[in-house]
Amino acid sequence: MPKLERITVGAILAALALYSAPVAYGQAEPPKPAQIVVNDSGGAMQNAMRAAFYAEFEKRYGIKVVNTSPVDLGKLQAMVKSDNIEWAVTEIGGQDAILAEKFGLFEPLDLKVIDLSNYPKHLQNRKSVFPKGVYSTVMGYRTDVFKEGSRPKTWAEFWDVQKFPGPRTMQNAPIDNLEFALLADGVTPDKLYPIDVDRAFKKLDQIKKHVAVWWTTGAQSAQVLIDKEAVLGTAWNGRYYVLIDQGAPIAIEWNQGVMKESSFGIPKGAKDAYWGQKFLSLVAEAKAQGVYANIIGYPGLNLEAIKFTDAKLIPFLPTSPENFPKQWWTDLAWWADNGPAVTERWSRWMLQK
Amino acid sequence: MAFLLAFYLVPVGLLLLQSVEGGSLAAYDKALTDGLYVGVLLDTMLIAAYVSIVCLLLGYPVAYFLAAAPAPWPTVGIIFVLLPFWTSILVRTYGWMILLGRNGIINRLLLESGLISAPFPLLNNMTGVLIGMVHVLLPYMVFPIYAVMRRVDTGLVSAAEGLGAPGWQIFRRVYFPLTLPGVLAGVTLVYILSIGFFITPALLGGGKVIMIAVLIEMQVRQFLNWSFAAALSAVLLAATLLVYLVLRRLFRSDLQWS
Repeated sequence: MPKLERITVGAILAALALYSAPVAYGQAEPPKPAQIVVNDSGGAMQNAMRAAFYAEFEKRYGIKVVNTSPVDLGKLQAMVKSDNIEWAVTEIGGQDAILAEKFGLFEPLDLKVIDLSNYPKHLQNRKSVFPKGVYSTVMGYRTDVFKEGSRPKTWAEFWDVQKFPGPRTMQNAPIDNLEFALLADGVTPDKLYPIDVDRAFKKLDQIKKHVAVWWTTGAQSAQVLIDKEAVLGTAWNGRYYVLIDQGAPIAIEWNQGVMKESSFGIPKGAKDAYWGQKFLSLVAEAKAQGVYANIIGYPGLNLEAIKFTDAKLIPFLPTSPENFPKQWWTDLAWWADNGPAVTERWSRWMLQK
Repeated sequence: MAFLLAFYLVPVGLLLLQSVEGGSLAAYDKALTDGLYVGVLLDTMLIAAYVSIVCLLLGYPVAYFLAAAPAPWPTVGIIFVLLPFWTSILVRTYGWMILLGRNGIINRLLLESGLISAPFPLLNNMTGVLIGMVHVLLPYMVFPIYAVMRRVDTGLVSAAEGLGAPGWQIFRRVYFPLTLPGVLAGVTLVYILSIGFFITPALLGGGKVIMIAVLIEMQVRQFLNWSFAAALSAVLLAATLLVYLVLRRLFRSDLQWS
């Protein structure tokens, strides 16, 4: 065994030497890699990211941006645990981001590089989760079924199948739905958390048999309304926007919608972390966020970005002056703590006849 | 063998190791006693059994056609079986959503021809899940059976005919037993693949049909509870092996009997 021990000690010393090497170089800019990998959610998103952020980064630094997808918390943990990190930056859902921070999967943000001074006050002191943008889970309905003046506007009315008959669609997950149930039951947005889970499920019992489809993917949530499998439903606002923009008979009700943050993070130990910080500093810029929103309909959180956004798009943004006050924010910390147990209960509830 | 060791046995070993993280069997205790996980596991095995049976009933005649039809037809038939095989599962699943929906092509045809007065619930329930899964898995049933059928000695069938056996008897006592190895291979493949099915049931079942892979995925990707995910996977693996052994036993005694 002594031989083995010597090898181990040698390996540890070598590893330490390697680890401390970057510190020795101080603040000097590390050599430019030929490319960095940014992991995004793919689909229509990646085109917008390419146009707004990747192309600009390539122009500015001469480093190619290769994008991969999908966004996957499990894969992030696998990469960090095995110290085999492909990504310089990864997109991550709001709830997952909190979990990732809790599990120490992200590098701290360098706020000397990333300028968050034009962001809402409560987002300016981020440790490791970069606030990329905001999306809202909203109510959507078919305009050929529900006319203006006789359409549901609150979750209480969404639950009212007598007054507003027709099959519904909701996400196959407890997040948002428990809150919607409580709002339908008369709770006000400021009293939602901590969620009264029993009360929420009891209210969900009432709507269960009227939900024709519990959607799994974002694309499905909107397709279900197009196919008339349901006439009233919930979805992330951008999913409806894309179809409304193509002329589908669908409209959004922003009232009582729930906003969530979508985020970016730099995986812990990423070899291109330095360039990851630079990339995020570019994403934080107002102009880039305007370009991004114009393509995809999801705004960034730099409050100056609205100056660079198309006027026709503004009514479809959760951050527009008209829509913003009608909605409320998910308490992601509550979901990070209670998500597993509540989701298990959700599956049980789903299996009850 | 080295390949199997490196890419299968070692990862499975690591997975099993993870399931007893910290030397505790708590993950197994939950996986084996919690009504949710046991119930979903049984549902999954039942769905896999349905899919295998339907695939067998549909696939056996198709395989027979491919093996017995004259010259150009087998090639044409194989192309037709293979074509959907090369299309992405997601695309096929969305295709079924268009066909089977409440306002889908099938229901609209039936409604307009006056055959039914209200749309058939074909989608967002178990029916939709079964249709979608059978469609994806049918080739896995057809090809093993077809391969065996082509090797069947037709002289034996002629001999039975010559001895005056009626058609049904020939099929039951001569031809079918000779194709049993193919049936076993097909059923095993389809059953094992069905058990791990994920996206098709989630989309075509409207969220109302839950299979065990969905729950495992949730633990891996959403909650990062890998030791519990590993325990669930180990239980699934054990259940699958058990079914495989039972199937083999069943078919082997049948083979001997014939």
